[in-house]
Amino acid sequence: MIEINDLHKRYGDKTALDGVTFSVRPGEMFGFVGANGAGKTTTMRILMGVLTADSGSVLRDGRPLTFEDRRRFGYMPEERGLYQKMRVAEQVEYFGRLSGLTASGAKKATGDLLEQLSLTERANDTVDALSLGNQQRVQLAVALVHTPEVLVLDEPFSGLDPLAVDALAGVLAARCEAGVPVLFSSHQLDLVERLCHSVGIISAGRMVASGTVDDLRDREGRGRLRVVVRGASPGWAASLPGEVVENGDEALVSDVDGDGQDILHLAVKAGKVEHFGWQRPTLTEIFREAVA
Amino acid sequence: MSGLWLVAQREIITRGRTKAFVIGLVVSAVLVAALAFLPKLFSGPDSYTVGLVGGQSQALQPALTGPAKEMTIAVREFPDEAAASDAVNAGDVDAAVVDGRRVLADGEVDRELGLLLESAHQTVQTQRQLADAGLDAAKVAQAMRVTPLEQVSVGADARYASVRVGIASLLVMVLFFLLIYSSMYVAMGVIEEKGSRIVEILLTSIRPWQLLGGKILGLGTLALANLVVIILAGLGAAVATGFVAELPPGMTGIVISTLFWFILGYAFFAALAAALGSLVSRQEDANSVLTPMTMLMTITYLVAYFSAVQPGSAVARILSLVPPFSSMVMPVRMAGGEVLAWEIAVAAVLMLLATVGTLLLGARIYQRAVLRTGGRVKLTEVVR
Repeated sequence: MIEINDLHKRYGDKTALDGVTFSVRPGEMFGFVGANGAGKTTTMRILMGVLTADSGSVLRDGRPLTFEDRRRFGYMPEERGLYQKMRVAEQVEYFGRLSGLTASGAKKATGDLLEQLSLTERANDTVDALSLGNQQRVQLAVALVHTPEVLVLDEPFSGLDPLAVDALAGVLAARCEAGVPVLFSSHQLDLVERLCHSVGIISAGRMVASGTVDDLRDREGRGRLRVVVRGASPGWAASLPGEVVENGDEALVSDVDGDGQDILHLAVKAGKVEHFGWQRPTLTEIFREAVA
Repeated sequence: MSGLWLVAQREIITRGRTKAFVIGLVVSAVLVAALAFLPKLFSGPDSYTVGLVGGQSQALQPALTGPAKEMTIAVREFPDEAAASDAVNAGDVDAAVVDGRRVLADGEVDRELGLLLESAHQTVQTQRQLADAGLDAAKVAQAMRVTPLEQVSVGADARYASVRVGIASLLVMVLFFLLIYSSMYVAMGVIEEKGSRIVEILLTSIRPWQLLGGKILGLGTLALANLVVIILAGLGAAVATGFVAELPPGMTGIVISTLFWFILGYAFFAALAAALGSLVSRQEDANSVLTPMTMLMTITYLVAYFSAVQPGSAVARILSLVPPFSSMVMPVRMAGGEVLAWEIAVAAVLMLLATVGTLLLGARIYQRAVLRTGGRVKLTEVVR
C-alpha cells in the first residue's frame, strides 16, 4: 500500500501543496484529478523522489520509500521523455536494463510488451519516426518493461485516440489485477470514472474529495431526486418541497430531507410517474462542485 | 557501477552511429593525412635531369651523380647546344651544361640545382687545373677529399625545429577540435535529457553520478577513438610519403603524452559542459549558457597556438603549468621541444587536481540543477 501523508510544498511564496493525503492499495486503480496547476504533477514527482517535499511523507507498507523501492516503480512523467533518435526496441530494453534487468530478460520483456502494445513492426524505427500516439505507447512500454511493483503515470491518456485509450486501459487493468497499485492523473473524467476504483480530487494543493467512485457518487447524490411524470400539467412540480427545477415532464429536486417518500406521493398525484430516483452525479459534476 | 557502463554504452552506440560522428571521423582523418603530404608539396622536387653537351661537361657526371647526395640527378647527353636548348625549353631537362662553361635553363636555374652544379663544376675544374700544373692526379684526388662540415647546434636541438613546430600546431588544432565538439555533445546530451524529462525516468533508476559519469565516459571514449584514428592517419600518411624519416625522435612519447593530456583536458571541459548544460532545458539556450566554457577553451586554444610557435617562451612555460591551459599547452610544448621532467610532473599534478575538482563541483551542480524545471537555473542557487 502506498500512503501519501500530509505533503506540503512551496515554490517561493506560492503554495503548491497544502497537506495532500491519500493512499492507493494493491490492485487498486486510483484516478488523480484536478485542474491545471492544482498540484497533481508536484505530488507525483514527490512520490517518485524527483522532487523533495517541504514536509510530509510517502510510505510504502508503513515505511518511508527508498531509492531501491522506486527503482521497482514504473513512472511516466508529465512531459514525454524519450530519446528521439534511439530505436524503439533498443530504448525500451535500455530502460529495462537500467532498472536492473539482465540483457536477455530486458530483450524478452521488450518483445512481449511491444507485442501487447501493437508496436512490434515499429521495433527498429527511431522514436521520432513514430506518431505521437505510438510514442505514447513506447513511453508506457518504458514504464512497464521491468514489471514494476507500483505504477505512477502522469496524464498517460492525453493525446490518445479511442483505440489507443482502450489498449492502454487494458494493459493497466491487467497490471492492476495482478495486484499492482496504479496511480494515474487525468483530465478525462469520464475515463477515470470508467476505469478507476478510487479517485482523489485535488484543488489548489488540497485534497477536496477522495474515496471509491461509488462512495463519492452516492455521497454527493444524496439529497437530489430526479422525477419524471408523464402528462403532468405545467407547474406541477411547484408544490414539491425543496429546490425544484421543472423542465416539462421532468423535475430535479435538490436539498431533499429524509427519504423523499413525500415527494413521491405528490408526484403520483400529479400524473403517471415514469422515473423516480436519486440523481447520482457524474464524476464531472462532483469535480465541478468540489473545485468550485 | 553497471548503471554507469550502461549509460556509457548507450552513448557510444547511439552517438557513434550518427552521420555527424562518422563524417567528422573520416574528414578529420583525411585532413590530417593530407597535411602530412604538405611538406612534400612545398619542398620542391628531389630529383633533377641535367643535360650535358661536350666532353668538358661530361666530366661533371661523376661529381653530379655520386652517392650520398640528398637528391638524385639523372644525366642526358646531347650532341650540340641547339639540341640541349630545345630539351630545356621543352622541359625534358631542368638545366643543361654546355662545354663545362655555361648553364642553360628555362629562366633561372633552380636554386638547389644551381648550387649543386656550381660545386661539381668547382671540383672538376680545380682537379683539372691542378693536373695541368703537373701535380699527380691521385695525390690531387686524395687532397681534394674533404670531410664535410658537421652541423652542431649550440642552442636547443634545432635539427627538427620546423617539423616540431608543424606537429605542435597540428596538434593544437586537433585537440581543440576534439575537445570542443565532444564537450558540446556532453552539454547537448544533458540538455536533451533535462528538456524532455527523460532524466526524471533515468534518475528513478540510477544515481545522478552514474548518469553523468556514463555520459562523460561514453562520449570521451568516442573522442579518444577519433584522436587515435587521426594520429594513425597522420603517421600512416607520413610513412606513405617517406616523411616519417624526418620526424623527430620520441614520436611514441609525443603520442602517449597527447593521449594523456587529452583525457585530462576532456574530463575537465566535459564536467564543465555538463554542469553548465544542466542549468537550462532548451537547446536554444545551450550557446549562451556554455559561453564561459567556450571562452575558456578558446583562450586555451590561443595560448596553445602561441606556444606551438614559441615553445621556449616564458609565457608558454608558465601557462604549460596552469590548468586548464596546461591540458593543451603542455602536449604542444612537448611536441615542440624539450620540456623538463619536473615541469611535466607539476603540470600533470595540478591539472589532475583541477580535473577532479571540476568533476566533483560539476556533479554537484548537475545533481541539483538537472531536475529543476522551468526557466534557467541560476548558478548561485546550486553552488553552495
